[in-house]
Amino acid sequence: MNIDERRKRARLYDFKTWRDFPPMNVSMGNMLHNRTGSWRFIRPVYEDKIPACQNSCPAGNDIEAWIKLVQRGEHEKAYWHLKREEPFPAILGRVCFRFCEGSCNRVQLDEGISIRELERFVGDLVPSSTPHPELHPFNGKSLCVVGSGPAGMSAAYFARILGFQVTVFERLPEFGGMLRVGIPAYRLRRDIVEQEFEGLRSMGIDLKPNTAVGKDISLGECLERFDYLFLAPGVHGSRKLGIPGEEENPNMMSGLNLLRAIALGEKVHLGEQVIVVGGGDTAIDAARSAVRLGSHVTVLYRRTEAEMPAHPDEIAEAREEGINFRFLAAPDRIETRGKNSVQKLVCCEMELGRPDESGRRRPVRKEGAAFDLEAETIVTAIGETAAFEPMARTLEETGGALEVDEELCVKSRQEGRGRVFAGGDIVDGPHTVVHAVAAGKRAAVAIDCHRKGVESSEVLKKISVGDGVGLSFSAYMGWQPLNPVPGNLKTVVRSEHIVYDYFQKAPRIRNSPLPAVQRKASFDPYVETFSEEQALGEAGRCMHCGRCTECDNCLVLCPDVSVLVKGQGEFGYVFDYNYCKGCSICFTECPRHAITMADEEIAV
Amino acid sequence: MKQVIKGNIAVSHGVRLSRVKVISAYPITPQTSIVEDLSEMCATGRLDAQFIKVESEHSAMAAVVGSETAGVRSFTATSSQGLLLMHEMLHWAAGSRLPIVLTNVNRSVGPGWNIWADQTDSVSQRDTGWIQIYCESNQEVLDSVIMGYRLAEEVSLPVMVTYDAFFLSHTSEVVDIPEIEEVDAFLPAFEPRYRLDVNDPRMFGGMIGPDYFYEERFVMHKDSMEAVNVYPRICEAFEQAFGRQYDVCETYRTEDADLILVTAGTITSVSRIAVDDARKAGKKVGLMKIRMFRPVPLDRWRESLGNALRVVVVDRNISAGLGGVFASEVKSALFSLEKRPSVYSVIAGLGGRDVTPQDMSGIIEHVLAADGPGERPVFWGLKE
Amino acid sequence: MQKTFDIPREKMTNEELLQPGMLSCQGCGAALSMKLALKGLGERTMIVIPASCWGIIIGTYPYSTLQVPVIHVPFETAAVVASGIRAALDVRGEADITVMAWAGDGGTYDIGLQSLSGAAERNDDILYVCYDNEAYMNTGIQRSSATPPGAWTSTTPAGALKEEPKKDMEMIMLAHGVPYVASASVAYPDDLVRKFEKARNIKGTRFIHLLSSCPPGWRIDSAVSVKVTRMATQSCVFPIYEIEKGKYTVNVLPEERLPVEDYLQAQGRFREMGKEMIRAVREQVDQRWLELLARADPGKNQASFD
Repeated sequence: MNIDERRKRARLYDFKTWRDFPPMNVSMGNMLHNRTGSWRFIRPVYEDKIPACQNSCPAGNDIEAWIKLVQRGEHEKAYWHLKREEPFPAILGRVCFRFCEGSCNRVQLDEGISIRELERFVGDLVPSSTPHPELHPFNGKSLCVVGSGPAGMSAAYFARILGFQVTVFERLPEFGGMLRVGIPAYRLRRDIVEQEFEGLRSMGIDLKPNTAVGKDISLGECLERFDYLFLAPGVHGSRKLGIPGEEENPNMMSGLNLLRAIALGEKVHLGEQVIVVGGGDTAIDAARSAVRLGSHVTVLYRRTEAEMPAHPDEIAEAREEGINFRFLAAPDRIETRGKNSVQKLVCCEMELGRPDESGRRRPVRKEGAAFDLEAETIVTAIGETAAFEPMARTLEETGGALEVDEELCVKSRQEGRGRVFAGGDIVDGPHTVVHAVAAGKRAAVAIDCHRKGVESSEVLKKISVGDGVGLSFSAYMGWQPLNPVPGNLKTVVRSEHIVYDYFQKAPRIRNSPLPAVQRKASFDPYVETFSEEQALGEAGRCMHCGRCTECDNCLVLCPDVSVLVKGQGEFGYVFDYNYCKGCSICFTECPRHAITMADEEIAV
Repeated sequence: MKQVIKGNIAVSHGVRLSRVKVISAYPITPQTSIVEDLSEMCATGRLDAQFIKVESEHSAMAAVVGSETAGVRSFTATSSQGLLLMHEMLHWAAGSRLPIVLTNVNRSVGPGWNIWADQTDSVSQRDTGWIQIYCESNQEVLDSVIMGYRLAEEVSLPVMVTYDAFFLSHTSEVVDIPEIEEVDAFLPAFEPRYRLDVNDPRMFGGMIGPDYFYEERFVMHKDSMEAVNVYPRICEAFEQAFGRQYDVCETYRTEDADLILVTAGTITSVSRIAVDDARKAGKKVGLMKIRMFRPVPLDRWRESLGNALRVVVVDRNISAGLGGVFASEVKSALFSLEKRPSVYSVIAGLGGRDVTPQDMSGIIEHVLAADGPGERPVFWGLKE
Repeated sequence: MQKTFDIPREKMTNEELLQPGMLSCQGCGAALSMKLALKGLGERTMIVIPASCWGIIIGTYPYSTLQVPVIHVPFETAAVVASGIRAALDVRGEADITVMAWAGDGGTYDIGLQSLSGAAERNDDILYVCYDNEAYMNTGIQRSSATPPGAWTSTTPAGALKEEPKKDMEMIMLAHGVPYVASASVAYPDDLVRKFEKARNIKGTRFIHLLSSCPPGWRIDSAVSVKVTRMATQSCVFPIYEIEKGKYTVNVLPEERLPVEDYLQAQGRFREMGKEMIRAVREQVDQRWLELLARADPGKNQASFD
């Protein structure tokens, strides 16, 4: 039955005289002539929305859609759907901070979905040098990317899709930035990073290692040779503790330097006791790396565990690996035994005072509460700083971060106006990998707008996802969403919109990490990827918030038989507005808020 | 084949011979032996019918409304309180144009509990749309049931066959019971124009607005009036098949009558004797028997009664606040005549009080001696 | 992708025995109930409709929104007219057609109780469905013996709220010894469809009690019509169960029991209830629920609420 067939079946009877009546009170036809749609003042429309996970993803990853593809067994399609919004699922599937999992609406039912594990599963399935299906031909402009970290990689990737001729300059011999020299191998295997760069190369991106912009090639030269510049050097300097005894000493190092040394295969000797000062992921990474090198490690953090920026899972695993945590303590001075050795760290207890600009309570020294900690090496990981030579003066003026305008152009008088863009940690300060990826995507779009002579701020607003910072590259490119249903890029579906009655509890699928004693024996990864069965099982727990899954609720529960299946193998349903009374049951009972009630237009 | 049977048994024969397929009835004195006899017939297989042993008369009529709408010939019987309880459903059955046949044993209506002959029960249902036939003998009862189905199914209106409590229901008379094959030839199978049918799904009896209801009722009335013409044809066919003569009304010695008695039910039999006695005494007295009471055979009544000087309507019923119902209807029928007889109303026999030939002769005398009919009915035999 | 309800897509799309254009209010539980019931029964069904909302919903002469034969009957006669139709169909040899009486709570609990009792005692082969919106809604929301205590109706206004408990129709039917008694609602549509499919194949008097939400009468937004119906079962106010030849099965066991107060507070008709009355109702509901559980599983010790 479809809408047209119904209309054809409507028929009016008009008994003009008593002779026209049937011999007894018996009906002659149906009620289809009575178009009860005229009773409405609001009407339902199918409208896909943004699930909470996608909203909280800094890159605006269309998580629901690729999980749906995994559920359908279309893993390769899922891979390419991931690739619409980010360049390297195999990497993010291992190291992403998982803002999505924290905001997953399933948390209110049982547990969030293991999105990152699913991304890893998908990311591993397709070789990264598989030809990209969406590459545009050369658009006539060239882009120079400074830095091959995630921001740079992301900008290169998206710019290449847009048809730019892309060249990436990387000062280190290895590509990847933080991915390669900041994140330990047990979290992200080296070969995976290498493979992804192979993939970028196979897209036609020119990768130049051992080329430091500012040293091996000047910024001015880059400006001459290329139409556009994207500066993404990251923040590879480290903040100093600023305490007595802190001097150049092989046993005093920053966490970043330690991680880089290990990553580049240099020899590192830490000694028995190591203290790591700091509470972020760098601190934990450094600590866990030190453990793997055979040291005993204590992490010193001036606030409490609750305020630690590191991911709780990381902290837990660190603890399992025997790392001690000393909270509410800060270093006062370093005492050495001669020039090249460290003997102990004199510390002071802290207590929490009033909140600072981050919203966290400021730690305050507790007078008279000093104590010593023995150590041979002290690692500082209290924050990364910019160390980008070519713009050192600008950075000093702006307090360590490059300022960009609405169009993401660097605000500076010296460099070419409107052609130099920047993004990633160099602009935002130390952030996660996915934030950097988002920045690269944003820059690519901004640069493309500039190429087209279009104001990018309006465009960026239009393609922004929900109320977060994510962008939909698919929207920019006009790529069809997975569901052939009109979509709303701005409305976010949170837990209060989900009808939990329609979902049954199911335990979260996760692979247990290897026991700590095995883990810390090497730098090998320690959690297995999902099996096919596990992936399907976990993808099956996704509630597909805000997106129609043809669950048939509306079809079953419409009292006025006004939801019809599109039929002919087409996806979804259609409302028969001839009869729909606007009762809104479909809206309320859609488990995932994929229907919107819109005002009825009244003809005046 | 002739048998000596009671009125109620005559009914059950009529039902059997009419090949009724669904029976639904609730016992009430003096109808009970109908129900019992039919149960026996169904149990022994002598009658191939479904018998729904309902829990009230209202339900009895409701059940046959259901079965007739589903296209199957159905029957029920009742009396007095039961008929009254059915009242809502009687309207419904007639309005639904269902050819149900109901036999009603005329019994008085309480309170006090009086179980004897009285026509108030059926005459008080005269507005329901049912065709009403009043019987004088057990033979007539049997024949009227059979003819009732043919009439009902031709005009699509239900037919109520009535007869007096105990005088007929429990009194044995000689009845010539036809063979079923003979009745088959006279009464064809029931072929409804519309019935509940999954192959032609329709709604019966739904909500109907002021724009259409009026015409439906008009059609019902028109079809009911038409029954006055249909029935004589059916009676003629019946006479050809079985040799017994019936009509919408019957006259006895009215050709030159100055005074004509009008009666219904067993009072008619008694009145015939009084008429003969009066004729012997040289009085020009005749009798019109009411058979079909609804629809009112206006022309036939005017024809039968119009030339008399006096018409005496004897009512074995009372509509308190008005008088006899037959009298009121006869007056109404004669009103349009230019030359109208005087109509005398006599109430007699309420609650089964015996009405004898002597009573009838007395009534004739009373009327002949009276100046005029007077406003009020005469309550014959009232203890004063 | 997975359907929420265990109802095959073809069943929802194969035929339209109920067509739109009907006169039900927005969000009418009775309309939805009929739609789903017919999905379980199919086209070889005849329906008897006494005076009730469905007498109007179906449409005005000469139109009907149902594609099965329907007969309208006076208020108190649904069951026995169905019995009469059944007798006629048996005479005609059409025993596979389901005769369904579709009556409201007024036509079942009150005025129709006698004829229903008669049919049930005779074990007439009919399917009797009571779509229960808990008041005489069609005539303007007057109380019936199915109205729950504490509910406002036009004949139990504030200050004179109904105090009498709701008649237990399932138990009344069970006392007649009928082969199948069940409760169901549109909030659990696959259970409802299954019950109609099952009932279709049982001989004798079958009784199904549907809780049928009424947005105007219950003083709720039409949008939450199904949700409130679901809350009735989640709070154990309207348990969904079936009794087949005396054997009880509770079909819906709420995982997390919703407080009765939540169910009451979701509806405007209970707004006038005082704390005492709410407490009394809660106790009644608890008591009845525990008894039901005990009957369903006599081996277990009497369940308790933790």
